Amino acid sequence: MLHVENLTASIGGTPVLKGLDLSVGAGEVHAIMGPNGSGKSTFAHSLAGRDGYEIGGTATLDGADLLDMEPEARAAAGLFIGFQYPVEIPGVNNMYFLRTAVNAVRRARGETEIGARDFLAVAQEATELVEMKQDFLDRSVNAGFSGGEKKRNEILQMAVLKPRLAVLDETDSGLDIDALQIIASGVNALRGPERSVIMITHYQRLLDYIKPDFVHVLVDGRIVASGDHTLALHLDDHGYAAYLNHELDDAPERSFSGAVL
Amino acid sequence: MTVTTTTADSSNPSTPERLEPTDVIDHPTKRDEAWRYAPHSELGRLSFGPPVASAPSVPAHVEALIPALDGPRIVVVNGVVDHVRSDVADLPDGVRLSTLADDVRLHPEQLDAHFDRSADDVADAFVALNLAFGRDGAVIDVAPGHEIDAPIHIVDLVIPDETRNASCSGVVIHLGAGSSATVVETRIGGGCEFGGSNTRTTITLDDNATLDHIVLQDVPSTQIHLASIEVTQGFGSVLRARSFNLGAIYGRVAYDVHLAGETARADLSGLYFGTGDQTLDQQITVVHEAQNCTSRQTFRGILDDASTGVFNGGIDVRPGADGTDAEQANDNLLLSKRAEANTQPRLEILADDVSCKHGATVGQLDDEALYYLRTRGVPADEARRLLIRGFADQAVRAVDIETLRTWINDRLGHTDG
Repeated sequence: MLHVENLTASIGGTPVLKGLDLSVGAGEVHAIMGPNGSGKSTFAHSLAGRDGYEIGGTATLDGADLLDMEPEARAAAGLFIGFQYPVEIPGVNNMYFLRTAVNAVRRARGETEIGARDFLAVAQEATELVEMKQDFLDRSVNAGFSGGEKKRNEILQMAVLKPRLAVLDETDSGLDIDALQIIASGVNALRGPERSVIMITHYQRLLDYIKPDFVHVLVDGRIVASGDHTLALHLDDHGYAAYLNHELDDAPERSFSGAVL
Repeated sequence: MTVTTTTADSSNPSTPERLEPTDVIDHPTKRDEAWRYAPHSELGRLSFGPPVASAPSVPAHVEALIPALDGPRIVVVNGVVDHVRSDVADLPDGVRLSTLADDVRLHPEQLDAHFDRSADDVADAFVALNLAFGRDGAVIDVAPGHEIDAPIHIVDLVIPDETRNASCSGVVIHLGAGSSATVVETRIGGGCEFGGSNTRTTITLDDNATLDHIVLQDVPSTQIHLASIEVTQGFGSVLRARSFNLGAIYGRVAYDVHLAGETARADLSGLYFGTGDQTLDQQITVVHEAQNCTSRQTFRGILDDASTGVFNGGIDVRPGADGTDAEQANDNLLLSKRAEANTQPRLEILADDVSCKHGATVGQLDDEALYYLRTRGVPADEARRLLIRGFADQAVRAVDIETLRTWINDRLGHTDG
């Protein structure tokens, strides 16, 4: 589904991603873990198309070249990014925003738009998924939302946009355990054979609730180790020290049974 | 350039003309702070005078611009009431609604609040012109204690005439003690000739009266629109003024609000949205004359292309007006490098125990918000529109009538493309 080869990204002349390779198959859940500054968020936004990045390499989603597209075309192609810091948009009604987004994507795909009434049912179902009250839809997008509400709103958007690939950037940061469980059960409910998920996270905690098929360690702009979910447990115990300074010979990847990319 | 008042309606000797025939009032110039951004040479091309006899025909597409409100209405075309388009049948209990021309003829003594001005009281030459020629329009009088739900709609429609390209009209609003009402003033126009309109509204709120007053200004960009709104508020009265200054090559809305009775409250908000070469000018003065009054000025500007926005907001706290609580906020969104926002607070405080706050911002669309919307599949131009609408929403939301909110939102979407 997603194929990333030798992806590089520089911001203001400073290289952040230095040749990242990753393949994600249909229905798979991957976790990308790494220390601060390793390029985790830059990876997410390189896929999403943020302005101001100098990008090299390739990234295709279902064969389509993502890196050539505007951000909105990437969304139409089936990509969704859950923001670490969702943006507050005062004055724009959440429900109106959701329907605008869904219909923009449908238009781009040559599908018919969905009317306000039909969309209400879709939106209501999505609010139940993230255990939000109905009035959540009547508020301005993220404006005055608590940290947990913002993250739940991200998952709600994912639910209505039904992406092929969701990249969730630190969706667990700043959440208490109750909110984390709600987010996790929302994501789990959205898993399916045709939908893949990349979770970017600092901590193993989230992976207790959303069990990944693969775990990758991102250090200094490259994936330096890959394994199954037990790799995350190992990281939780031992930290990233073993992977820093490119001492890859000491990395424990060979002791894990997961696919090594 | 000067204006003399000798040309006042000489056919009607009972006209309560208080300006002396010898009074001469100079046209404003660039040196007048309140007229600094006005197009002075174009203002000089406006030919004011008594209305011409024949009313122009109003094309259907111009009439279709009038928001469809459920209530009585008076339509003024080129300074003269159009009885066919007006509807004053079935007035709610407690409402007197008549044409200004009728009242000038029948009850001139009741129009002092509108016409009784000495030369010293006249803010500028255009007010003087309106005093002289603004002899038709609407008079709204609500009896004490009546709460009027249906909005009263006054439409000022201008289609410039070859012989007379500018017209004046007046609206007189009086709310009796403890009454409440909503008045909507729509200013639109047609034709492609240069021209202008000069409207003057005087509002008197008796003790504990509450008025919702909404101005929708959307005349064609070939025209100038000059609006002056003078308000006197009694004890405990409430004014909620909402202005949407959208049309005209130069669109001006000037409020002069006097809080004359204790604990009166004036809440003024507005939106101006300029494109092309428009200049949209808000001149606000709120005078706190009595104790423990409250005022709010909340104005937002959206300025695209080479348009100019002006907010000149004054809070004037007179001696003895202790316990004044006044706030002013002006936020501007610039959509183009050539657009310009000018904001100027004027605070004069001559009383004790006064709280006065003011703030102004000028910004651009939030790149991060644009990016966020685009990652959700919303194309860039639609994302821009969504954010613009979001910025305008604070002002739009301040209007209680859904038909008007829809009218304004349609107008904002339309302009943006």
